[in-house]
Amino acid sequence: MPEPPGRVRRSLRRLSLGLIGLLYVVSIPWYRETGAEPAIVLGLPDWVAVALACYVGVAILNGVAWLTTEIDDAEPVPRENPPGGGAR
Amino acid sequence: MSLATLGLVALGLYLVALLIVAGVARRARRDESPADHFLAARDLGVLVLFLTLYATTYSGNSLLGYPGEAYRRGFSWIMATGFMMSIVVVFHWVAPRLRPIAIREQFVTPGDWIKHRFAGEDRRRSLEIAVAILMTIALGNFLLAQLMAMGHVAGQVTGGTIPYWAGVVGLAAVVLFYETLGGMRAVAWTDAAQGILMLVGLSALLGWLLSQAGGLGAVTSQILVERPEAARVPDAVETANWFSTIVLLGLASVVYPQAIQRVYAARSGRALRNAFVLMTFMPLATTLVVTLIGLAAIPRFQHLGAIEADTIMPRLLGAWAAAGPGEAFLAVLVLIGALAAIMSTADSVLLSLGSVISEDLLGRSRLDPATTRLGKRIAAGLIVAMVAIALLPRFTLWRLIELKMELLIQCVPAFLIALHWPRLRAGATFWGVVVGTVVAVAAVLIDVKRIAGFHVGVLSLVLNVAVAVLLSRAAPARGAQSKTDRSRW
Repeated sequence: MPEPPGRVRRSLRRLSLGLIGLLYVVSIPWYRETGAEPAIVLGLPDWVAVALACYVGVAILNGVAWLTTEIDDAEPVPRENPPGGGAR
Repeated sequence: MSLATLGLVALGLYLVALLIVAGVARRARRDESPADHFLAARDLGVLVLFLTLYATTYSGNSLLGYPGEAYRRGFSWIMATGFMMSIVVVFHWVAPRLRPIAIREQFVTPGDWIKHRFAGEDRRRSLEIAVAILMTIALGNFLLAQLMAMGHVAGQVTGGTIPYWAGVVGLAAVVLFYETLGGMRAVAWTDAAQGILMLVGLSALLGWLLSQAGGLGAVTSQILVERPEAARVPDAVETANWFSTIVLLGLASVVYPQAIQRVYAARSGRALRNAFVLMTFMPLATTLVVTLIGLAAIPRFQHLGAIEADTIMPRLLGAWAAAGPGEAFLAVLVLIGALAAIMSTADSVLLSLGSVISEDLLGRSRLDPATTRLGKRIAAGLIVAMVAIALLPRFTLWRLIELKMELLIQCVPAFLIALHWPRLRAGATFWGVVVGTVVAVAAVLIDVKRIAGFHVGVLSLVLNVAVAVLLSRAAPARGAQSKTDRSRW
């Protein structure tokens, strides 16, 4: 039996958010040798190109995560206006 | 026509257009309620909501401060693209849960959430006031940064015809006028136009800079020769700071009052969601662009001082304008776009300040039209005070952002944790905010900005959360009520 679309959406959202966290960790060059001479990749130092690629990935995955997010619209609770009135 | 004349004419036309929009927004109002003035009657559709979020998020700091910081720090400032994106990521833990409650309970200010979430608890009002004070200081600081940026850009756009002080005073008066007249509607509509101007202008400037330099690779090669440390792999302190800045900006930005109020102001949950989908790509179109602009300035302007580096953008535009009449016209458009971005942030901040002080700090009703009038008067008083401070700039724009975020981040538990953890108590959250703020302020007073690369504000937040969680766990459970907390929210 196929999964209900709601569950698929929630799984996709969680997966996207998890991958975003991973990309943030990779984007920071903590694992590179400090002060190393960089190679040039796509006109940028290689560690900068890696960070940028990660942020492009974050943007795409975050877009997917938002598209799979549902934001409910509740009905407002009716309230009395104070003396002096709100509406004209 | 000279650059100064062209700039004056363009500035004049732009300001007239703003005043017309304010007049139209005034006529579009439905009533005098705070919800209509501060939230545009909760009727912002996807496009206007996206553009107002965009123009509000990308401010004078982004346009003047970020290129300056890229110039000072080099390629590691690519972190800015990451931390601006982290804001839209962190909103996943705020908007989907806060929005339905905000609509159901008709929230207007961030403090309305605290009133609702901690209703009936001891120290609820203390927490509300503490959060409102932090937000007021942070927003006041933010407004100051925008006023300083306005003064710099007004001088540049008119070739020095309008001096710094006159730019600050005159443009602050225009912002105050259209915000008071048209409220959130005027702010959102002008933001929409300002966002488009900024996006187009920045891309054109980067294109010109890279074509002049012979491409991105040539810029990088020049930096490697002239300032190699700016292109080398950063050290452990800088990478720790990179991580810390992502945390600082990501967490603190979602408790910006003006950002929270846009969550309330969306026409529907779907409109809000779609606006976030668009927003997630904007750091690539804006922050990355201004970072590359700042990097391209390294070979052009050598040995600029810390404060001088904040004038890189106007300097580059001056050079662009000198290249020919077509370039001068485009440079003026970019400057107007920059000014537009700065003014759009200032107006949003001013609007939020009026509502936060009148409702959250002074405790006025969100249903009473008198609150709207009080909010307008407070906004007027604040802008006069900030103009006075802006006339004597003492900090870099980036330092102003850091100071603001280090205070604002202390409000995070009252929103992020309170939305997800039913056991969090008002008193515990209040003491957490007090401890975090005292440590952050003490560090500023003794001039400690970072410890091993980590912002003092982020480290203070760890203490703040620890106090809030431990005291909440130690507090007696609220019996049957705690079981129903989640459904109550």
